[in-house]
Amino acid sequence: MLNRLFKLFLLFSAILSVKAQDCTYSIEGSVFDLGTHLPLSDVNIFVTETSNGCCTDERGLFSLYNLCEGEYHIVFSHIGCEPKKFHINLTQDTVLHIDLSHTISSLGIVHLDEQKTGHINQPSLSISKKTIEENLTKNLGGLIENETGVSLLKSGSSLSKPIVHGLFGNRLSIINNGIIQSGQQWGKDHAPEIDPLSSNRITIIKGANAIGYGGGNLGSVILMESKKIAHEPHLHGYVNYAFETNGRGNNLNIQLEKYTPKLAWRINGTLKKYGDKKTSDYYLRNTGVEEANFSIQLEKSWGERFFLNFYGSTFNTNLGVLRGAHIGNLTDLKRGLSRDVPFFTEEDFSYKINAPMQKVAHHLAKLDATYLINEDEELKFIIAAQQNNRKEFDIRRGGRSDLPMLSLLQNTLNTEVKYTRKMKNSWKLTLGNQNIISDNTNNPETKTSPLIPDYISFKGGLFGVASKKKGFLLINMGLRYDIENQNIVAIQNTIPRTSKRFRNNFHNLSAASSFKFDLSKNQSLLFNTGYATRNPGINELFSSGVHQGVSAIEDGNIHLKTEKAFKNTLEYKWVPSTKFSLSALAFHQSFENYIFLKPQNEMKLTIRGAFPYFKYEQTHARIYGFDFSSEITIRNSIQGIIRYSFLRGKDTSNNEPLISLPSNNLFTSLKYQFDRSINLFENVRAEEFEIDINNKTVFKQNNILSTQDYSPAPSTYNLLGLKVSSRLVFPNHYLNCFIKIENLFNTKYREYLNRHRYFADDIGLSATLGLNFKF
Amino acid sequence: MASVALGALIFSSCEKDHAHVHNEHEVMTTLTFTLTAEGADTVALRFIDLDGEGGNEPTITGGTLKANTTYAGSIEILNESNPEDVEDVTLEILEEDEDHQFFFTSTVDGLTLTYTDQDADGKPIGQTNELKTGDAGSGTILVTLLHEPNKSGANVSTGDIANAGGETDIEVTFDVNVE
Repeated sequence: MLNRLFKLFLLFSAILSVKAQDCTYSIEGSVFDLGTHLPLSDVNIFVTETSNGCCTDERGLFSLYNLCEGEYHIVFSHIGCEPKKFHINLTQDTVLHIDLSHTISSLGIVHLDEQKTGHINQPSLSISKKTIEENLTKNLGGLIENETGVSLLKSGSSLSKPIVHGLFGNRLSIINNGIIQSGQQWGKDHAPEIDPLSSNRITIIKGANAIGYGGGNLGSVILMESKKIAHEPHLHGYVNYAFETNGRGNNLNIQLEKYTPKLAWRINGTLKKYGDKKTSDYYLRNTGVEEANFSIQLEKSWGERFFLNFYGSTFNTNLGVLRGAHIGNLTDLKRGLSRDVPFFTEEDFSYKINAPMQKVAHHLAKLDATYLINEDEELKFIIAAQQNNRKEFDIRRGGRSDLPMLSLLQNTLNTEVKYTRKMKNSWKLTLGNQNIISDNTNNPETKTSPLIPDYISFKGGLFGVASKKKGFLLINMGLRYDIENQNIVAIQNTIPRTSKRFRNNFHNLSAASSFKFDLSKNQSLLFNTGYATRNPGINELFSSGVHQGVSAIEDGNIHLKTEKAFKNTLEYKWVPSTKFSLSALAFHQSFENYIFLKPQNEMKLTIRGAFPYFKYEQTHARIYGFDFSSEITIRNSIQGIIRYSFLRGKDTSNNEPLISLPSNNLFTSLKYQFDRSINLFENVRAEEFEIDINNKTVFKQNNILSTQDYSPAPSTYNLLGLKVSSRLVFPNHYLNCFIKIENLFNTKYREYLNRHRYFADDIGLSATLGLNFKF
Repeated sequence: MASVALGALIFSSCEKDHAHVHNEHEVMTTLTFTLTAEGADTVALRFIDLDGEGGNEPTITGGTLKANTTYAGSIEILNESNPEDVEDVTLEILEEDEDHQFFFTSTVDGLTLTYTDQDADGKPIGQTNELKTGDAGSGTILVTLLHEPNKSGANVSTGDIANAGGETDIEVTFDVNVE
């Protein structure tokens, strides 16, 4: 298939050159920065069909001469920018004006385009498609972990959950193409079931104002978005391949898209296979991953008013869990802690995945319709269905390892109606309703008592958001009300077992407002304040039993009340030019009835020995911190980035630190881009040759008591990374490639938020070779 | 508005089906360590926790052994979580004897335990064993059953748990007197 496409592409290029007769046309134009509206110099301009190009001057101007009549694809790229591709049918001399979103986009300035995204006035950061593609070996967590305010809760090398401003799981929503991801997100070792490679942009909203998203989040949201299919009549796409040495992983990601006036379509597929990962000196047995994902996006419009989009995706993974981290009781945990190398470690590498393992599938089908009533009014409907199928396998007796220990099937239906209106007095109003119905069933195949009960839950929410821009001030206010009805059938701990019904009704209220003051042309101050409530999740109410990974008995508490959170953020942004930007964000979130697992004074005695006993309880708490990031470009070829995150959390009722919060961390990166192309062979040259050296320092988590954990928090560690990338230009096509080395010094380390740190070191050196072919 | 109506309809009419209450497999509720010797009373050390992990506290029965006596020991494990359908887990363990081993640790002076059974590889299992008492004294006996231990580990076949790995299926402690 690919070969054919490639031939087609070559043929197509050939036709273009044959057809060309009158080669006297020119394209002139200018390139500006989208954020600052300042001209961008040294932007590389590359005409795919002719393999020629030029650069912009200090005024952002460029010109291309002696072009023949025909169709051209022009790529605009700049150090640290997401390249922009432009299609043109050249029939006369043409002038182009291009806006590039400079790296400052990662500070959220790209969202100045409020019409598109609607979350301009919240502290947020974005990850571009370029970054996503260059990290195709990573899962969602790995992709965003170097951003400020973001950390990961890991269970070994391949399972990670994102944490934003200290919150994760039930308290953090992930929105996949407009739909709130619905699965077993309560589990500490349940990674989000999403393929980030099918997204064009990942946005992390760190505000207090996620009124339009719902779903029990207390402020922060991760948005995964696919961009609209470009109005390009040709078949376009890319092939990404990467090989990673650690885990001997192969990654393949292919995307194809085409626009026709009748229907625009895009498909995206990913295949991954990894074997055992390696620490600085031993293999982590049974840590392989297999993944196969596919997504399809269809867009159709009727006239200028009615738009219909379909998005379908399927995510399927098999994940091995470190064999040496599978334990039976506290004695085993202590024996694990006393060892340098985990039990069951083997000399040789293997791709085999055996129990303990997870098999997870998540499918989504979504239809959304937008109707522009008139210039000022818009109506949007969404309906979506999701299925989440999670099976977890443990080492079991009597040949039962083939039976999952946990097998949960969740079907979810989402509906949404949203009405937006621009008022005469420059107010913009959005009103909406969102409903979520989830049906969660334990498959009886496990032959054990389920960890969480069967239930059906209904969530209905109404919200309204009003915003207005007046002079130097931008105001945004929102209100939201949700009702949740839980209908539960729980198995009771009686002899013999019986089941009992519970019905819960909860009401949640959120209110938020934000104010953005433009202090001057290039400085702004953004203040967000928000109140949100979250009702206890099913696991917090009803879970019961031994939590294998940490050897503890954890019990739910049916008396839990709704959790209330109040969050304030203040962000200062200074962007004096396209060459320098700075953002400083401080936040404070206080909780009433914060739900957490409280260690009880008793140990529970079982046939497997005594277990520490935890119960879900409530307390008052607060989490506060700040994120700092700055980027500087020197002489258009050197770019420096610095990011620092600081976070503290406290249980204020019991006057002790909150556990499982991210440590403070510092990320720095220095990039150098050669401004000239290098001739490698005849007809092959390397352009945009770039070297990137980065370092991440994760400081020791000192903010816990020694009595709060089985082992002390690991020491501070540094991970050095190196990346070399370039575009290889052949006569009729080009290939982007990169070589990346992570943990360059093969540093031996353990991470506080990796739950396998009790048993094993973290990942050692890993080199990745990546190739990207766009057509 | 249609979605509100749809939601309301489902809201009022949904009821979750009954959960599947079935026999739990793999659960162990009862361990009996029977010790017999000629000229001495038979002693049954017993651990019972019918409702499984969590919930009610288990019942543990210790015993009194005769000094300077050699007992034949035998361990039986049952799943009595459903009184109507009691399962003998001992058989399951013996079927996978290469993947299981009992370990014994005693704090009683002079009390020793040795293996008297073997799996197909000639490695000990410990389901049957020999217990020798010394002079009078008192203390505890800790019985541990490991799943997938490394039976070839250093000193594992003589009952040293330190290098065995694996995960603990059973770990119970009995009070014993030697008179």
